[in-house]
This record gives sequence, structure tokens and C-alpha cells, in this order.
Amino acid sequence: MKKSFRVYVAVSLLIIFSSLLWAGEFKLDVQEHTLKNGLQLLMVEKHTAPVVSCVIRFKVGSVDEEPGITGTSHLLEHMLFKGTKNIGTWNYEAEVSLMKEIDKTAAEMEKEEKRLQNPLAGGDEPKLKQLREKLRELQQKQKKFILKDELWETYMRNGGSGLNASTSEDGTQYFVSLPSNRLEMWAYIESDRMREPVLREFYSERDVVFEERRLRTDTQPLGKLWEQFAATAFTAHPYGWPVVGWASDISTVKREQVQEYFRRHYSPNNCVIAIVGDINPKEVVRLVEKYFGDIPPQPTPEAVFTSEPEQQGERRIEVQFDANPQMLIGYHTPQAGHPDTYVLDVISSILSRGRTSRYYKNLVEAKKIALNVNASSYQSRYPDLFTIQATPLAPHTTQELEEEIYTELEKLKTEPVSQWELEKTRNQLEADFTRSLNSNTGLAFQLTNYDAVTGSWKFMLTLKEERKKVTPEEIMRVAQKYFNKANRTVATLVKTKTESKPTSFVPEKKLSD
Amino acid sequence: MKKINRKFVIVASLSLVLILAVLLWAAETQKTSPAAKKIATFKYQDLVWQVPQVGKEVKRVELKNGIIVYLKEDHTLPLFNVQVLINTGAVYEPAQKAGLAQLTGTVLRTGGTKSLKPDEINQKLEYMAGSVETSIGTEAGRASLSILSKDTDEGLKLLADILRNPTFNKDKLQLVKDQLKEQIRRRNDTPGSIINREFYKTIYGDHPYGRSLEWDNIKSITQKELAGFHQKYFQPHQIMLGISGDFKEAKILQKLEKVFGDWQKKEMDYPSKPKVEKKFKPGIYFIEKEINQSNIMLGHLGSDLNNPDQYALSLMNFILGGGSFSSRLTSRVRSDEGLAYSVGSSFPFTTQDLGVFFASCQTKTKSTCRALSYMLDEIKMIRENLVTEEELNTAKDAYINNFVFRFTTTEQIVGLLMGLEYDKRPADYYKNYLDNIRKVSAKDVLRVAQQYLHPEALTIYVVGHKADFDESLEELGKVTEIALVPPQVD
Repeated sequence: MKKSFRVYVAVSLLIIFSSLLWAGEFKLDVQEHTLKNGLQLLMVEKHTAPVVSCVIRFKVGSVDEEPGITGTSHLLEHMLFKGTKNIGTWNYEAEVSLMKEIDKTAAEMEKEEKRLQNPLAGGDEPKLKQLREKLRELQQKQKKFILKDELWETYMRNGGSGLNASTSEDGTQYFVSLPSNRLEMWAYIESDRMREPVLREFYSERDVVFEERRLRTDTQPLGKLWEQFAATAFTAHPYGWPVVGWASDISTVKREQVQEYFRRHYSPNNCVIAIVGDINPKEVVRLVEKYFGDIPPQPTPEAVFTSEPEQQGERRIEVQFDANPQMLIGYHTPQAGHPDTYVLDVISSILSRGRTSRYYKNLVEAKKIALNVNASSYQSRYPDLFTIQATPLAPHTTQELEEEIYTELEKLKTEPVSQWELEKTRNQLEADFTRSLNSNTGLAFQLTNYDAVTGSWKFMLTLKEERKKVTPEEIMRVAQKYFNKANRTVATLVKTKTESKPTSFVPEKKLSD
Repeated sequence: MKKINRKFVIVASLSLVLILAVLLWAAETQKTSPAAKKIATFKYQDLVWQVPQVGKEVKRVELKNGIIVYLKEDHTLPLFNVQVLINTGAVYEPAQKAGLAQLTGTVLRTGGTKSLKPDEINQKLEYMAGSVETSIGTEAGRASLSILSKDTDEGLKLLADILRNPTFNKDKLQLVKDQLKEQIRRRNDTPGSIINREFYKTIYGDHPYGRSLEWDNIKSITQKELAGFHQKYFQPHQIMLGISGDFKEAKILQKLEKVFGDWQKKEMDYPSKPKVEKKFKPGIYFIEKEINQSNIMLGHLGSDLNNPDQYALSLMNFILGGGSFSSRLTSRVRSDEGLAYSVGSSFPFTTQDLGVFFASCQTKTKSTCRALSYMLDEIKMIRENLVTEEELNTAKDAYINNFVFRFTTTEQIVGLLMGLEYDKRPADYYKNYLDNIRKVSAKDVLRVAQQYLHPEALTIYVVGHKADFDESLEELGKVTEIALVPPQVD
């Protein structure tokens, strides 16, 4: 059942796009195809260079996790580069029993470590050491059968560009750009890992992820501040835990748990693929049918049950760090598609996009109170936050900066924004849309993202049109509705001397040490 | 006897052949994955494309006043782009005025022109959803215009006005100075910014390549000095424009003449650039910071951009640590041992004078010395043995098959070809690039590794919490501890 949706033949949109589309030769023509197993394929032909960008988006992110296994979506993303029964091994059968033993040994080790950490239990240090050695031996044995990072290397040898994957609260995507003649190789590799990945080298990769956490969160003032900020703003909803996962979860999650998580969330009917570039859509459909067609569908995973309860008053936290002050402010806002989100998008643009924005002109340029102020709104799967990230310019303090930030928000509630600001924003929305068509990868990301979050890639168009309709009155209404003290979370980074920093309560014991 | 002997010999050699064959077969087939066998059956149609060249895909024109223009039309989208290269850089600023080039490059855009106030420029550009940005780096000044093609005339007018008639408004200069001061104040907040700064400072000493901004230098820089720096280097015959997007060549040349044509050049002498002293700075340097992950960076002087060995060196670096998971450093430190998220090496060919080869990683405090010793190991090993044919082929395939991605957009193509002329590289540099890569042998890789990598001369930096290291850094040699002093900002 192949559907082809062409933007420029849709009458209502033709009028909107006419000026834009006549100017250039490229038309956004997204061809859709859905496989029997539910896999959705989006294609855009663009023959400007013999290359193609491929993005696979799975509708699973940290929001789908639960306490105890936070960070699993991201860890799984790492593990999917370790291969399958066919990729990354020359003797899978020999690996199976070894991996079972590795899991068993790792579990015993962990028990022993827990005992050692508990002053009442009394662990056995020599036994732990023995187990550690045993694990290492087993890993060495398995290594003989492994063809190191073959998946990565295959892509590299075939000219893969921008090869990587990323995880957010809402989704996980795997992406690569290739010379356009290599599409069959892509289809083979990706279908193979969607069908049945092998989570080999699990425990060393868990350590790698822990290093990623140290790199991005533990040693970065802003990373740490964001983590604590989200954990404060969300008391119940899973947006409150970090995408990378809590430290203790990363260091204890089991291979079986990650395997089970894969089984539940990685199905052809829970993902969307976009292929943008020098393609023949018929040929793409043939290849995708051939390689992905026989992957069995699964029950669609349940949506997140927990809703964030209404906030009943301002929450304020401090994070101590050996760094200069910064701050984050957040207001709870609705999920993607709610009419107010379009207004919030326009507000964030008016507040902090470019040198004519209010925060830049008033706080950065005129009052010289801030080094930078960035307001952001999001189109998310679940109710999220409108955030303001700000850095004070000394000698001004975060308190002074905070006051000024609120002054601008109050103005939005009481004074209609100027026609000029709205027109500027509308012009930028149009131009952004045109520019977004320039990059194959960028377009593939947008299509898959909007499709995964809202159910259709066409949300990309809706978003532009709805934002353009926003009026000064709506901005006042929405500002009054959301920018209230009771709906607010404020996190401030406070500089401390290293000496007075409290030591961590979570002992950092790693299995493969 | 003879007969028997001969028979015996034949049997023996036959069996030897058999054993060899079986061994070879085993090596060939058993250690191959099912995927590799499958992928080997795929047939790829030839990719139809040409390495773009000046005079063919991209046109080069010189305006009467010496401005060099590279052009390539592309009507895919209604967008218009200009990239500008200006022959200047921080290499020409006096040491005691370090920051002058950067300030000039920034306030050029924000400080208004003779006819337009700073706010007016911002309003015009942002209302059109366009942008003009400017900067001056170490060895080049850059500007860019990005605008919808319907606004081409207005965009070009603004770009030319900013490049030709800036006024470097005093308030805007003060704003940038205050912001740089704040950035200096914050420069010890993350380990990455500490190690980068100190590493290059040690390797380059006072040379502009290793300079970091200091408040003492910046605070005294005046509006007049900015205007002077601009006047000296922004001359039409020192400027290149790269035009790409939705335009017609003949028309655009007229438009360029209109906004740039009456810009008269003044002959001037360039000051001599300071030379990088060809001297290694071996040593282990340590900076204490109480964090749970150590930052490691090690390296030494490498190569300039005109080195004929760059092809062998690029492949060598790919195998050592530039090819991510297909490289030895990543494979060992990250994939095998789980000691780092980010680990790798770089051997750039981007600077007129000597650049820096370096390897870096971040690892938990308790594995600092272990990770560092693996890195040192790999650098030593690639100098001792030939890389395997498989490693070399992987690196070559990656370079060859990935090459097309350097030329996927018109903007990229124009920028690259214009960059060749600016850097005084041969015009056929990209055309011959892959042949030069193909020619490299495992022996070449070994030779350049031995010639350019000097494990004994490495500058090694570690930022971390020493008390919890797995071993003492002193095991590796004498350690110089550098105190992290609060930045001077008063």
C-alpha cells in the first residue's frame, strides 16, 4: 500500500508555498510506503549529489524506561553497534555459552561488590578479585571469535559519513550517509540488527557509557545543572531522569534487561525510516521490502502511564560546583500539537533568537547583565518544559539576572508584541523551512522526528503554518497562563571551593576494573 | 632408493601444499563473518561524479580592483550564499596586542558602518531571515552572507558595507571586551578548556598558534587600533569571494561590480609572520582538578599543510587513532578495555606553519595511568611494525569511498576550491588526492610514523584528581605540576 504525498499538489498548501516553490527547482515531495509488518518508510528524491542519508528512528527513549534501568535506551543504542549473529563474529555458536558464563560471573561479582559496600554484610575481597579475573578470562576467550567493530568498519570502508546514533527522552535514531550506490548494504546491515542484535562485549561497553556520563555530566557544570534541574522540575514523570541514566543504574543494569528492553521496543512497527538523496524510490521500496519485510511485528509498547501532577509552588535548587554561576529556569508546558506550544515556540524566538531578540538586546547588550540567555520550547511526546538558560556577566549575580528575565516575561503578559517582531519571526519560519531542505541528513532527521513524535511527518508543515498564525493576543494569553511562579523551577549553579565539596554517596565500583 | 626418495618427497610436498591450503582456506573462510560473505556479493553501480575543478564546474573571475571571485550556480533552492576570505589573521598582530585580530573580526560585524547603526544592520538582516557574520582567525579573516535569493541585492549591499565601511562603535567594542573577560573568568570551569589551552601554550610558547586571550592584553585595545587593523588588511586585492546558490552568473558579476567595484586598493607590506620554533617540548605536565575523570592529551609538533607526506600520514593517523572504531586507539582503549568514551588522535594539515599531532582521551580517575600507557604503547607500536594490509586497505577504502562527501553541496565545493588558492595549494590538489592516497604502501606508513612520531618527545598533559590515580604519574618520568591559577580579570 504505497502512498505518495506530494506537498505541492495539495491545494491548501499550494497557495502557501507558491512563492517559495517557484523560486527554486526542488519540491518537497515525500513519498510514503508502509510495509505489511508496519514499518514506515519516507523517501525524498534529491539528485544534487550521488549520496543518500538514511535515518532510522525508533519510538523509544529514556521516557520509556523505569526506575532501576534508567539509561537503558542509550546503552542499547551503544550495544547495537556490537553486531549480530552475522555481523562482528566468525563463530557465533561458540560465543553463546561464553556469554552466558560472562553474565553469570558478572552477576556474582556484583553481589559480592554490593556486600562489600554494605558495612553490615561483610564481603569477600579475594573472592571478588577471583571473579574479576575469571570475567576477564572469559572476555578474552570470547574475543577470539569476535571480528572487532565490524559493523562500523563495514560502513567506513564503504564511505559511510556521519555514522552514529543518538538517544533522547523521546526517541533513538541510527544514521549514516552513504554513496548512493551502497543502499543495499545499508538495508542488509540495518535489517539484520533490527531483527536480532547480539549484545556482545556488554560489560566493557557499560563502562564506556559510564565514561560518557562522566564526560558530559559529572565534569561539566552545565551538564550537572541540567540533570539536577530536570530531576527537580519532574517529580513523577520520567522526563525527570537523565537520558544517560543514573550512575548506579548504568553500573548495575544486566544484559538480560537490555535484551528484554530491545525485544519490547525495537520492532518494525515501532520505527520510521527516512531515506533522502540520490534515490529511485521504487528501488528503495524493493530493497526495504526485501530486507525488512520479514521482520515480525510486535504489540505496540504502552504509552507512559505516569503524568506529572500540577506543580503547586516554585521549586528552587542550588547545585554546588567548582565553576562560575549559571542558571536554568523552567515552566511546565503541554505536549506536541497542543495549540499553546506553537505560541510558546514563537515566544522563545522573540525572546532569544538573534541580535534583535529581547533578551539579547536588553540583557546582553543594553544592561550587560548576561553573557547569554537562551529560551527554548519543545515539541515533545509528553508535557515538557519551556526553559531559559542564562549565564550572568560579572559582577552581576544570578539573582539580578533572574529578576531581569522575569521582567521580560511580565512584559509579554501585559504588552502586545510588535507587528515587526511577528513579521520577522514569520519570515524566519519560512526561511528556516527552505534551509532545512538543503541538507539530506537534516531533512531526514526532521521527517523521522515529527513522524515519531506526532504520528506524521506532515507536522513539519503544520508547525510552520501554526506558528505563523500566532497573534499578539495569544502571546499575552499564553504568557499569562504558563509563566507563573507556582509553575516554575529554578536551578542555580553555585561556585564552591573544591575542598568543601561533599564526597559522593554512590561508590563508583566498576565491574571490569 | 631414489624412487622411494622421490616418491617420499612428492608426498611430503603434496601434504605440505594440502596443509597450507587447508590453513589458508581456514583463515580465509572461518574468520569471515556471514555478513562479509553476503556483502561481498553485492554489486554496486559506478558512482557518477567528477572532482570539481576551477574552470570547469566552478568559475573563477577577477574583478578590476583585484577581488577574486569563485562562482557556482545552483537553483535547487531559492538561497544565496557568499563566503569571503580575507588575507589577514592573528599571526599579524603584535604579541602584546593578542586579541586585536579577534576583536576586529567580531566588532566588524557588530559595530555598525558609516551609514548604518549596529541596530539597523541587525534589524535589516533578521527581518529578511538572513545573516552576515565575520571573524578573524589565526591565519584568515572570514565573512559570510546567507540570504534568500530574492534579497540578494540587499544582502550584498550590507555585506559590502560591513567589509568596507565599518565604524567599530565604542560601546560594541566594550561589550565584546566585557564578554571576553567573562569567558576568561570561566576558562577553568571545564577540564577540556583547561587542557586545550595549556597543551598548545606549552607546545607553541609565544607563537600565535598557541596564544590564549589574556585580559591584560585585551583591556588596552582601542577602537582606533581596530580601525587601523581593518584598514591595513581589508584591501580588495587581498579578498576572495565564493558565491553559490540561486543566481545568474552575468548578473551577479554586475552586482558585485556595483557594490565592490569602486573599492580602490592600497599597496601595503605584510609584516613577516612569526615562525614556529622547530623544537619539541617533551615532558609530563599535571594539573590538579577534583573531578572523577581525568583528561589526557599528548602530542608534539606535526606538519604544515603543504607536506607531500600528508597522504601517508593521514592513513597512518587513521589507523592509529583517527578512524574511530577502525583505529587502534579506539579499539583498545574504548572497545576492548572500556576505559573511555572518546579517544583518538589527529594529524592535521591545516596550517601554513607546523601544526600539532595529538592524541587525547578522558578516563575515570582510577584508570588514568593505564589508559595513558595504552596510548603511549600504540604510538610506539605503529613506529615499530608495518601496519597490516587489512588495516591499510580499510583506511584507503574509507578515504576513497568517503571522498564524495567533501563535495555534496555547491557551497562546500566553492569553499574548498577557493580555499586551495588562499592556502596556495596546487589547483589540482583534490583532483589528484585519491591517486596520492592509493599510492601509499605499508612501508610508507611505517616510514612516516618513524619520521613524524616521536614518543620520546611527547608533551603529555593530564588534568585530574591525582590522589585517586591508579598509579603515580611519576612512574612515567618527571612530572611538572602546573598550578591552576584563577584567571586575571581585573
